[in-house]
Formats: sequence, C-alpha cells, structure tokens
Amino acid sequence: MSELEQNQTFTQWLGQYKALLFKVVRAYAVTAMDQDDLFQEIIIQVWHSIPSFRQQSSTTTWIYRIALNTAIKWANKERKHTQSTETLDQLPPILQGPAIQFDERLTWLYEEIYKLDEIDRSLSLLLLDGFSYKEMATILGITESNVGVKINRIKKLLISKSKQQDYHGI
Amino acid sequence: MEFDELQKIWDSQTKEPLWVINENGLHKRILAKKNQAHHITNFSELLAILVNLGAGSIVLGINFFKRPENLFMYVMAGWMLVTALFVIVSRIRRLKSETTFDRSMLGELNEAISMATYQVRLSRLLRWNIVPIGALSLLSVWEGGKSGWLLVVLMIFFVLVYFASGWEHRIYTVKKRELEVLLKKLQTEEIVS
Repeated sequence: MSELEQNQTFTQWLGQYKALLFKVVRAYAVTAMDQDDLFQEIIIQVWHSIPSFRQQSSTTTWIYRIALNTAIKWANKERKHTQSTETLDQLPPILQGPAIQFDERLTWLYEEIYKLDEIDRSLSLLLLDGFSYKEMATILGITESNVGVKINRIKKLLISKSKQQDYHGI
Repeated sequence: MEFDELQKIWDSQTKEPLWVINENGLHKRILAKKNQAHHITNFSELLAILVNLGAGSIVLGINFFKRPENLFMYVMAGWMLVTALFVIVSRIRRLKSETTFDRSMLGELNEAISMATYQVRLSRLLRWNIVPIGALSLLSVWEGGKSGWLLVVLMIFFVLVYFASGWEHRIYTVKKRELEVLLKKLQTEEIVS
C-alpha cells in the first residue's frame, strides 16, 4: 500500500469513525490531558494498522479492536505511571465536547463504565453500540460464553446503579 | 432505569455534535512537544560533544605520556575528536535551519518533526559509533597485553551500551512518529478556534 493510499484511508476513517474513537477515549480516560494522550495513541495505532487491514471484518469492528486494545494497554500503563509531566498537564485540552458534557445522565453512564475493569469497560462500549456476542468475542479475544457471563453481570450492575441514581434524583 | 433506557441515553450521543479539536490547545501542545524535542536534542548534542571531546583528549594525553605508545589509542582519540567535531558542525547547521520555519501551528510542528528527525539520525549515528570505539578499545587493550578477562568485560560492556542505545533510539523514533501522525491529523481534521 502506498503512503498516499494510507493517508486517504486514514483521513476517511478519522472522519467516519471519530465518534467511535471519542467514546473509547472518554470511557478510558478522565482528565483532559489523559484523553488527549489516549486519543493520540489510538490514532497512531489506527494509522499503523491500515496496511494490515484485510477487510475480513467490518471497518467498525477493526477500528474498535484497535482502539480498545490500545486503550486497555494505555490504561494498564497509566496505572503504573500515574504521574504525567507538569508542563503538559497545565495545557488546555485538545479535545472539546461541550454538548456532550452537559448531559448529566450520559456523564453518569460514562463514570459508571469507567469504574469497571478494562475488559468490562470494552464490553460495555461494544454492548451499548450494538455488537453481537460473537463480534465482541472476536474483538476482545475471549470466548463467546465468557462474553455472555460478563455482559449479564454488567447489565445487572448498570441497572442496579441506575436505580440508585434514580433514587438520588437523576 | 432499565437497560433500554440506558441504551437510549447512550444513543443520544449520535444526535450530539461531535467533539472537535481545540486549535489553541493543539497549538500549545505542539509548542510543548517542540520545546521537549528541542531540550532533548540540545542535551544529547552537548553530551555527545562533551563526552567525545573529553574522552578523546584524555586518551590522547595518557597515550602521549605513556611508554610504549599505543597506535590504537591514538586512532581512538582521533576518532572521538572527529566525532565531537562532526556533532558541533551538525549542531551549528541545525541551529541555523531553525530560523527557516514560520511561527504558525504547522510551522512549529514541522520544526518539531525536523528536530525529531535530526535526533533520530544523531542517536543512530552515535549508536553505530559504539562499534568502532569498542573495537579500538579492545584492540588497544589487546596490544597493551592486558588480561583476557579485561577484554571479555569490556566486550560485554560495549554490547550492553549498544543495546541500551538501541532502546534510546527507539524512544526517539516513536516520538518522531507521534509528531508525524499529529501532522497528518492536523492536515485532515476539521479545526475550530
């Protein structure tokens, strides 16, 4: 694949799947600084993945797989090195999502997803974005039965948390 | 709330305007990355000059006053001094080229990439430079009739230094790639003020 073709695919993917990437970023990183870092990390991996994309799976599945795997690795790495450089910390954020931030229920949902472990976080995103158990298993490299068990648990947990949240007035 | 309702909340995102890139934030980030690249490059250059100049002079001095003189030590001292000179010349050329970039976001990013490319090239060169320095050190120890163990220890040392510098080189390569992807993103993304 030529660099021109890679550039064209990258531009097209970035435009078309930007929302997907932002969802993953928001579910895995809380601070603006972390979101910027993760976003950059993901798009680097997406860029590198383009030549190996063989169209055996849908583009959405492929990009989700890259984004989630990168986010999981990033989250593990971040846990080990929580401190970031002060200089970059003080900078204004690159990503802005003003409209989304005003939806309290969506913010709450993201917060609850963030509290889950890395794999469950990925599963929540895939579940809410309507992926089948089979697709989830392929993306995350776990068995379908394992996906089923985890999804049931996640659903129950989110419903129970939302009921507590209802009680508190949201 | 039942899961269907959670799903509706989630799906509401698609009706929301997408996140956008904050130009001001991006510009400041690029400046910070450029300053970081500048700092690393500056430090690497000065360290390479100092180490090669210092070690070259010391080796030259010791060999000059020592009897019998060791030919390999002279070659090694010369090699180190030439390396220091090469880095000095490269540094002057790099500093001159800095003025050719404009102060726009794209200009700053191109300057950061240019500096990162220079850093990658410099670290590759200094990595390969370990081979002749190591070989000349071993030859001078061998000619000086020192113990075989010293040769083995020195060899292990240079191999370790070679691998460590490879690890360092990869860090610079990754940083350069990050900047290149940022440039691609900048050229393709819709940006707002």
